[in-house]
Amino acid sequence: MSDWRRIDIDAFDPESGRLTAQDLIPPYSHVITAQELQPKIQQLRSLSSSGDISSAIKLATNDPPYSADDATKAQYMMAVLETLTQVRQADITNILKGLNPQEQVVLVKYLYKGMSITEGQKQGGILLAWFEKLTQVAGVTPIVHYLSDRQTV
Amino acid sequence: MSQSLRPYLTAVRFSLEAALTLSNFSSQEVERHNRPEVEVPNTNAELLLQPMHISRNEHEQVLIEPSVNSIRVSLKVKQADEIEQILVHMFTRFLEQRAESFYILRRVPIEGYSISFLITNKHTESMKTDKLIDFIIEFMEDVDKEISEIKLFLNARARFTAEAYLGEFVY
Amino acid sequence: MLHLKPNNLLIQKTFSEALEANANGAPLSLDRIISDFDYTTFHVSNSPDDKSVLWLSIKTKAWQSVTQCDQGKNGLLPFLASKYQSAKGISIPQSFENGYDYTLQADLKTIDQDTINQLSLLKIFVMNYPFQLAFNEFVELSNMPVLEEPTGSSTSSSKNLYTIEYRDEENIFIRPSNDRITVIFETVFQDETDKVLGKVFLQEFVDARKRNRDIQSAPQVLFSHEPPLELQSHLRKAANNTDLSRRFITFVLFPRHFQTPELQFSTVCQLTLFRNYFHYHIKCSKAYMHSRMRYRVGSFIKVLNRAKVDEDESETAGAEGTKEPVQRRTFTGRKMVY
Repeated sequence: MSDWRRIDIDAFDPESGRLTAQDLIPPYSHVITAQELQPKIQQLRSLSSSGDISSAIKLATNDPPYSADDATKAQYMMAVLETLTQVRQADITNILKGLNPQEQVVLVKYLYKGMSITEGQKQGGILLAWFEKLTQVAGVTPIVHYLSDRQTV
Repeated sequence: MSQSLRPYLTAVRFSLEAALTLSNFSSQEVERHNRPEVEVPNTNAELLLQPMHISRNEHEQVLIEPSVNSIRVSLKVKQADEIEQILVHMFTRFLEQRAESFYILRRVPIEGYSISFLITNKHTESMKTDKLIDFIIEFMEDVDKEISEIKLFLNARARFTAEAYLGEFVY
Repeated sequence: MLHLKPNNLLIQKTFSEALEANANGAPLSLDRIISDFDYTTFHVSNSPDDKSVLWLSIKTKAWQSVTQCDQGKNGLLPFLASKYQSAKGISIPQSFENGYDYTLQADLKTIDQDTINQLSLLKIFVMNYPFQLAFNEFVELSNMPVLEEPTGSSTSSSKNLYTIEYRDEENIFIRPSNDRITVIFETVFQDETDKVLGKVFLQEFVDARKRNRDIQSAPQVLFSHEPPLELQSHLRKAANNTDLSRRFITFVLFPRHFQTPELQFSTVCQLTLFRNYFHYHIKCSKAYMHSRMRYRVGSFIKVLNRAKVDEDESETAGAEGTKEPVQRRTFTGRKMVY
């Protein structure tokens, strides 16, 4: 116990009222499992491979799997990332115009998440293009929503 | 400005704009303390907001960690080879040693990044937020430019001295 | 200042001063230690008997290895003596000053500027000796009939490898053959940064000759991490062969670089200053980068200061209260900006 001065005693006090990251996750009535999500991933893949990026983005941003565990989210993220990177630059603005504000917020979540993982960093250019177009359409609003939203993708 | 740099800087600008809404916030745990919550280990999780990663590629990234009264902005500067690594290290260390005159500069970058800034509510109270953002954007642009210029200079000087030395052997 | 001068400026200056003072009839009392590159020290002092006679003593790290270059023939002292034979007013005392390797005695009544020049080159002359041996051996080798070797190679290189140990871990090796003389510098970088910058500089030495047609006739330069073939048999004996930061720079001198004594001398001057030269330029680059960064810091601070709210300006705007709303303040009395 050489480091006793650095021990954070409040962490041991159940009455301290301190919240951890776990406490902040909103309660979900139903936790989505990887199996349940599989059909959606399939649908996403087939939509993006057939070139219908617009519908694929709609699908991805509509009802994201907030309640899933990290591994499932990562799996889902890969599918979304594939969709995002297959778009043609010229189409981005039109796709964004078709999204409602809630969907835009979800899209921002995907973009930040995408840029934090190595697979997404390799595609940084296209994600940044999405980001730039999104700010042109919606301004700073979805980013502020992202900052304070505890529901993560 | 190159085509891929503009979206990168735009993303950083918008992210900072969204994150720089800081307010005075006294510590919830320690009486009469007022500290940048993003720097406090084991702080209350509700004071921290979602971190933002912005990456142009694997070598150029920005991480913005917002909290209620402070944000931490960390830059990863491009380091393509040994020389750039050394130059970036020299340059960032040079700046960090002069951190007092930079107010918002953190003396040590966080793990994995080249240089970090810490902006607290004190700073946003005494400085204009949009100008602060301008500074960070300009900094990002200039660091890259500076590093590549120094590198070019170094090669030019090496070439010149080598030729001058060998020129002495030409009779 | 692009090139380093082979002569020691401080020796030159000291002797010029002493010469002038002596001519004015007031000889100086001197006891001066002068340092040069590569752990070399000079000592200038008055002779105990006569104030108008000065002693110049040299102590250099290379001395030990240079005297051993000729396998016990003791040729160094006669060689140095021959260099100073023609110089006016120089004599060589019977015994050298205590703690120094070599001493020259200069009579201020007879020396002139030319002699002073010669004195200031003393270190170069010491380093010159192994090169001179190599030049001599080259002549011998090239006059020998070439033996037809079974391998068909027509170069026969000397068994001698002249070594100058001029710094702690850095040596110069000279190996003559019948058509060239190879000079190899072994160098160690203490500092990580120097190592990388040194690589940039040394690489340019290698490439410069290929790129620039004007210096095609300069010696070929090679640069490697591994000891070159010429050295391998020699270095295997050495125990400290494991250091990873060691670099080898090879200069290949062709007969055109040492045809006449004048060429020989200027080649030797350049080569002995090689290490100093490129280290000097590494330091210069660092200094330049430093001043550049200092300037950058200034310009960054200027940008950051643009963000600061000018106290007076907002004060008056608030007081007049025409269009601007009155400044809001935080609890502590600080102005709110946003």
